Amino acid sequence: MPTFETDVCVIGSGISAAMLVEKLSELRPGTTITVVEAGNAIFDFSNRIKYRQRNLDYGENPWPGDFIEDQLADGIICHTMAVGGQALLWGSACNRFSEEDLRLKSLYGLAVDWPLSWEELEKAYCEAERRLNVSGEPSPYPEDRRSAPYPQPPTPMSYNLRELKVWAEKSGLLFSVLPVATNLTASAGRGACCAFSTCVPVCPTGARYSPDFTFRKLIAQKKIALHDRTLIRRLVLDAARPTIAAAQGVHRDRPDETVEYRARLFVLAGGYAWSPHLLLLSACSRFPNGLANSSGLVGRYMTGHKFVSAFASIDRQLYGGQSDVQSLISRKYLRCRAGGPYVRHDTRVWESTVGREPRLRDEHKRVLLGDDLLEDWRTRAKGGSVRLRSYYDVHPSPDSRLTLNPSTRNRWGDPMPKIEHRFDDATMAREAAVQEHIRKLFAELARADNGQILTTSVSNYLDHPAGGCRMGNEPAASVCDSYGRTHDHENLFVVGAPNSPTGGCTNGALTFVALALRSTDRIAQDLGWT
Amino acid sequence: MQRRTFITRMLSVAVVVSLGRVRRRAEAGVLPEKSLATLREVAAVALPSALGRRSTDQVVARFADWVRDYKAGVSMEHDYGRPRLRTTEPLPVENYIRQLADIDQAGGQRFARLGRDARRAILEKTLNEAKVENLPNRPTGEHVVSDLVAFYFHSSEANDLCYRANIGMLKCRNLASLAKRPEPL
Repeated sequence: MPTFETDVCVIGSGISAAMLVEKLSELRPGTTITVVEAGNAIFDFSNRIKYRQRNLDYGENPWPGDFIEDQLADGIICHTMAVGGQALLWGSACNRFSEEDLRLKSLYGLAVDWPLSWEELEKAYCEAERRLNVSGEPSPYPEDRRSAPYPQPPTPMSYNLRELKVWAEKSGLLFSVLPVATNLTASAGRGACCAFSTCVPVCPTGARYSPDFTFRKLIAQKKIALHDRTLIRRLVLDAARPTIAAAQGVHRDRPDETVEYRARLFVLAGGYAWSPHLLLLSACSRFPNGLANSSGLVGRYMTGHKFVSAFASIDRQLYGGQSDVQSLISRKYLRCRAGGPYVRHDTRVWESTVGREPRLRDEHKRVLLGDDLLEDWRTRAKGGSVRLRSYYDVHPSPDSRLTLNPSTRNRWGDPMPKIEHRFDDATMAREAAVQEHIRKLFAELARADNGQILTTSVSNYLDHPAGGCRMGNEPAASVCDSYGRTHDHENLFVVGAPNSPTGGCTNGALTFVALALRSTDRIAQDLGWT
Repeated sequence: MQRRTFITRMLSVAVVVSLGRVRRRAEAGVLPEKSLATLREVAAVALPSALGRRSTDQVVARFADWVRDYKAGVSMEHDYGRPRLRTTEPLPVENYIRQLADIDQAGGQRFARLGRDARRAILEKTLNEAKVENLPNRPTGEHVVSDLVAFYFHSSEANDLCYRANIGMLKCRNLASLAKRPEPL
């Protein structure tokens, strides 16, 4: 059996892994770090402009080969499995959670408190923003105070977005430009933003951060080894101690041959689905419910946030197609008064062309062609359309689960994950009121400039999913400590999204990265001690 | 062999060869010149007159390139939220060729020889009979006329024409210039 020896074995290669190995290689130079990833390394940056064009023209996948056909989970929101993970195609939104997210139990008697202070998380946020080179502006709400400025100024607002800011602030809410991990000028081997407006799914200049850049840099500097196309199927316990001795898997090109990684320290960085999945798959006689699972909580408290979306029409002239990726955020409702109704959500605003696109038939079903079609389009393009969305806070019940699904297996017979989200009683009890509050807020926003809500919808999935290995101080009520170290195995860390006890009510990536960077401090300490 | 039999057989061979050539071209995603000639006449009616004939011909040329470069069976973007693995469907180029042949014959004389109103009426009737209701985001193979119209009207060029402004949708742009009201065309 091919066996690889390394100081640190990182399983998974998304944004949390990228930030972790970059920082670890700085804190502990000379430490051998091996990153193992089931998917492909798609390191063909020069092809991105071509892939983008094929995506626009034909709808083709701009990340060819970014999935594994028989390695799919039921209930996940993205099939991407490649070096870089879902951050290959993220919008690069870098919102912070609010202080309240960490004190839900103390402040509101809801869910659970996080096992770290806001000051600790805020420090990690600053580091995450620096490493991701986030561009942003201070929030107009004083509660959002920060200890360091953003490393880049805010993205200049498009003409449309400036118009929308004027419109949206008539409601009394204050908005700022969404902070994003996008280069305004070329930096760190990545280009500058050219406003291509295809950040999702692909940025052809690399201005929008994606982890493949970090991995390529670290490989070139010989700071890490990357083993892609290698699926870790289980972790193996040390024969005598409750520590992890090895990770075993297969290279997809040699499916009949087991490969083994032996390391002093193992880090699971496979995200909310694949990290708890691997722990459950690794059940053995000493840990029959899965590794790190003495609490029985691996794969439980799967979290994220729900959202309400709407489109509105307003009497303010916008220019469709300027930039439907830039957006505004109001953080007013990220916090709510203790003792009052619990309603927490963000509020986002984008330009849109909904209701103003060219069409083939008019309202009388008459065919439109040529000049008629253009004239109809011009008439309907007078004014502007707005997209609105609010992520709202929902709290998972213990039955919000990732389980092994015996009816769906990969080619090696491993059951694939199945994720089913469930909410606690308090969440269920307030849900209708929260949605109604958001609908009223959207209507209030739309009232300015003679606006009208065109459509409203509620999500049928949780965005920015997380959880499954939640952190906490009590081993009976959590899988990891606040650094992601599993309570059961001193040399096994789970980092990033799975640690989150609750999902917040704004984009999660920056928080997952901040937690992973904080974990890295402890991992580096451990490496120093041993 | 009698002379009449010989000529009949030769004509049959010619038809088979010709049909085979059309099929091979269609399989390769190539619209034959005869179809393109009709499509250019369609474009002159289905696209805005402000473009002028030269530009509508260029749109047809770009559409023909799009058809030529189409690949079936390629992995598509697998969506977000409710992801699914899909591949591109075969593009029914043979349908395009047949639809264009039908359009060419629909008026009792060649489409190109008809007046603008008659040509427009034929296209409208064609789309009604084909029950095409909506403009797709990109050509889908449903009907060559709606696909051509979608191909143009969802372009950055058409967006600029609609707003009479240099917006440059989806093109490489300077962030600072994006902050200004788009310049008039």
